[in-house]
Amino acid sequence: MNPRRSISSNPASTVKSRFTNGFLQALLRINRQRITSTTAYTPREIFRGYLRVKIAADVSMASAIGSRRAWSRAILRKVRSHGRDGAQVRRMSFLAMRKRNLYGNIKCVEDAGFHQANVLRKLVPGGEAMDMCCLLGETAHYIKCLKTQVKVMGRIAEVFST
Amino acid sequence: MEPNPGTLAGSISIRPDQEETGFESLQFREEIQRLIAVPPENASSFTALLELPATQAMELLHSPPSEDGDPAPLSSDSLHGISDDHKSYISSFNGNPTFPSNKALIERAAKFSVFASGENSPETSSVPSNSSANLEKVKSEPAETDSNPNSSQPLVSDPTVESKTQRSAKRKEREKKGKGCTKKSKNETSQDAQKLPYVHVRARRGQATDSHSLAERARREKINARMKLLQELVPGCSKISGTALVLDEIINHVQSLQRQVEFLSMRLAAVNPRVDYNLEGLFATESGSLVDSNFPSMVAPLVCPEIPFSGSRQHYQQQWHFDALQQPLWGREEDSQTFITPENSLLSYDSANSASLHSNQLKMEL
Repeated sequence: MNPRRSISSNPASTVKSRFTNGFLQALLRINRQRITSTTAYTPREIFRGYLRVKIAADVSMASAIGSRRAWSRAILRKVRSHGRDGAQVRRMSFLAMRKRNLYGNIKCVEDAGFHQANVLRKLVPGGEAMDMCCLLGETAHYIKCLKTQVKVMGRIAEVFST
Repeated sequence: MEPNPGTLAGSISIRPDQEETGFESLQFREEIQRLIAVPPENASSFTALLELPATQAMELLHSPPSEDGDPAPLSSDSLHGISDDHKSYISSFNGNPTFPSNKALIERAAKFSVFASGENSPETSSVPSNSSANLEKVKSEPAETDSNPNSSQPLVSDPTVESKTQRSAKRKEREKKGKGCTKKSKNETSQDAQKLPYVHVRARRGQATDSHSLAERARREKINARMKLLQELVPGCSKISGTALVLDEIINHVQSLQRQVEFLSMRLAAVNPRVDYNLEGLFATESGSLVDSNFPSMVAPLVCPEIPFSGSRQHYQQQWHFDALQQPLWGREEDSQTFITPENSLLSYDSANSASLHSNQLKMEL
């Protein structure tokens, strides 16, 4: 059993604990922000609040992973370049695709999983610039981290609603 | 007296030749030693291995000095033994300058991390045909490396030890490969007698042996290995056969996980302002219980956001894309069209029992 620990002490070693701490801090921040602003029940406000929590979850997960994985780097890149215009974002995705065709293998249309690979690329963050091999590896790690995220968030929701 | 000058003259005439050959042999010996000196500087195992075939290739290209027992000392000795053998080869050297092709051999051998052994050619066939045959042989045999880099690593690291034990296996392998490669079958069968201590990698029967298909095969094996990993991660995927179906399953799983995250974040966004924050206790219990708690597989649908906008409910449900999870519960909420008070909104529908419990607790809080 883990002893009591606050957020500021003990460096957490597992991804799960890092994610938990980061996410709870973010939730606190969001909540304080919501209390100071108007308590809005309009659909727009609720949707915005939901978006904030979702982005907080993704970013805290990516920060828990760090720069080790391509998908976490892609998430952090997206968040940091949030202010850029859409044209630049589209340009970057086009460049990423070209890079993949250069270094990866182009002759994959006739392979078995080409269409699914395209869908998977859209799902996994940063998947545009990956060839099939890296894509599968990143998907495996991403699935693992998503499972952890769902577990932790479910538990938090449970605790909050009791 | 006359034969003496003749013999003397003959001896004199012979000696310059010997001197010349000695001088040439010195030159070539220097070149050879330079060639040999270069690979060990790299300090990588396969270039150390290169030494063996370099000398062997040389021996093949030029007139083979002796055929018996030469592979044995070569294989058993380390680099020092090779240099001794070099001198013996050089002494019987004809001075045939085929070093460029030798270097091409070395380059080609260096390109493929593991290369197969050619045989020692006991025949004194013409050098060009021999060199071309050897080039073909060395080219195709490295190209026949099985896409199994893991097995090649120990092979590369212990070439001398393994070469002996593998010779019989190599003979069988070569015969196997001979079936697949018709191009050099003649040369192979003729040179099957003796083997050089090259490292063999098994090629499967009937498979192409050029470098492109090698790389393709390696890539395919990598992809297959990762697909197996993914199949283990995704539940219910191990029974499915076929790449496309497995990928479909993986896509579904990723999508469902992402939707679950979205649902939970919506729920947390709704729950947030209502919670009475007891920070220390909350985080302590949270971090303690996270490790050993089982996440209930049911995700409770969000109730709160439905209150203010019952009219726009359809719109938001389309946005949430909830078709994968908990449809009956949503459907029930939708049909009932009841306005739910903020207190009841915090009820989670994990189980019917807990719902009533939660409502009691909330009423007590308020």
